[in-house]
Amino acid sequence: MGFFNRRRLFIFLISFILFVTLIGLSLNSRDNLSKPEQAIKDTVGWSQQLIHTPISSISNFFLNIKDFKRTFEENKELKEKLASYEGVDFEIEKLKDDNEQLRQTLEKTDENVMDYHPIQATVISRSPERWLEQVTINRGEKHGVKENMAVITAEGMVGKISTTSKHTSTVQLLTGFDQFNRISATIYHGEGKETIGLVEEYDKEEDVLLFRIIDDSSERVKEDDLVLSSGMGGVFPTGLVIGKVKEVVPDQYGLTSMALIKPVANTNDINHVIVVDRSLETTDEQGDEAS
Amino acid sequence: MSRLYVILVLFIIFILEGVALDLLPTRLVLSKLVFVPHWVLMFLILQALFFEKKGSYYTVIYAAVIGLLIDVVYIEILGIHMFTYALIVYLVLEAKGIVLENFAVTIILGVLAVGLADIFIYFIYLVIGIGTVSWPYYFIYRIVPTIVANIIFLLMLYPLAAHFLVKWRDRNAESF
Repeated sequence: MGFFNRRRLFIFLISFILFVTLIGLSLNSRDNLSKPEQAIKDTVGWSQQLIHTPISSISNFFLNIKDFKRTFEENKELKEKLASYEGVDFEIEKLKDDNEQLRQTLEKTDENVMDYHPIQATVISRSPERWLEQVTINRGEKHGVKENMAVITAEGMVGKISTTSKHTSTVQLLTGFDQFNRISATIYHGEGKETIGLVEEYDKEEDVLLFRIIDDSSERVKEDDLVLSSGMGGVFPTGLVIGKVKEVVPDQYGLTSMALIKPVANTNDINHVIVVDRSLETTDEQGDEAS
Repeated sequence: MSRLYVILVLFIIFILEGVALDLLPTRLVLSKLVFVPHWVLMFLILQALFFEKKGSYYTVIYAAVIGLLIDVVYIEILGIHMFTYALIVYLVLEAKGIVLENFAVTIILGVLAVGLADIFIYFIYLVIGIGTVSWPYYFIYRIVPTIVANIIFLLMLYPLAAHFLVKWRDRNAESF
């Protein structure tokens, strides 16, 4: 009897082997989910949406009450900011015109790397397991979502699409990034000066993203410098705000320096996101057709 | 028939896990403490204690199936919850033969089960190279809040579930 009963031991060993194989198979860098998994995700996603809608409206109601209390102060602050924006607005308009004209004179009509096609989506569930930090959104392949697209909120970048199914897709949040999800990024110092590097992974204990500085100009990097995606990885468009520099430290071998970056977007409280479709391939096709 | 009710409740709790963070107060979510909902496991424990007949092991199969569902939908690494939940429920069923069935024992079993399950899952993540925090950090910021949050859920579920599960079990026995 007990645990070392023969039959039980046999079942235990069989299930252990099954368990190891399953983990091995699913870790083995799959491109996308298998068909049955996609079907399950879509079905569950439908019922998740059913439950998520009332719950989020209730929690939003309480948030709204809190917002009301702050409205007066916020209004004052915003009015001050608005005054300074008007000038900037005019300037941007002028620069855009300039840019357009210059491009035309250069006969460079292809799409800018800053352009993208936005796909609006709503978060329908969040992985309860907090190691991977994934959320599920209610847009899938049917709506044009593909793997590795960047996902942003109004504040800035929050993550990227890790897997897709027909009607839902899974977003890997920045807070769950590991060494397999690097972003080519730049630290912008103002006055056209930039430092190139890679956002490597998220440090869960310190709540910061690690940014490896590639060109040796670490002394230029200051606190509160803005970190933007550089668009050089070919996946994300240029100019998505990722975070702000918190500190610069030497890396563990003392050869290069790392910048610790505080993400601007709050990944704990997201409801609506925008999937960034940097449809460069389609423009290439159009260009081929034209010529 | 009453098995269908149990499956339905399990499925609803499983869906609710996905919006668990929306239900928590924002201040708690934004702090460094990490709450991992293991609500499905909590219900499985109640099911093992109050619904399962003596000597049978059906709940282990329930645990494996719903664990696989969690893996497919929330984790995308198959097998982690499937194996962990099945193992924990098996241990609870073994313990059931030794201890008395009452409120205090249920809570103690709940604490042990959540603790063991979470440590086991963390260990798997550590082996496959995803969990990167150190053990002391894990114990302070993850395991303690996780156990507390799940026991609160178990306390809320206990009176309802214990009542209905016993009723369903008796009705199930009659129908055979």
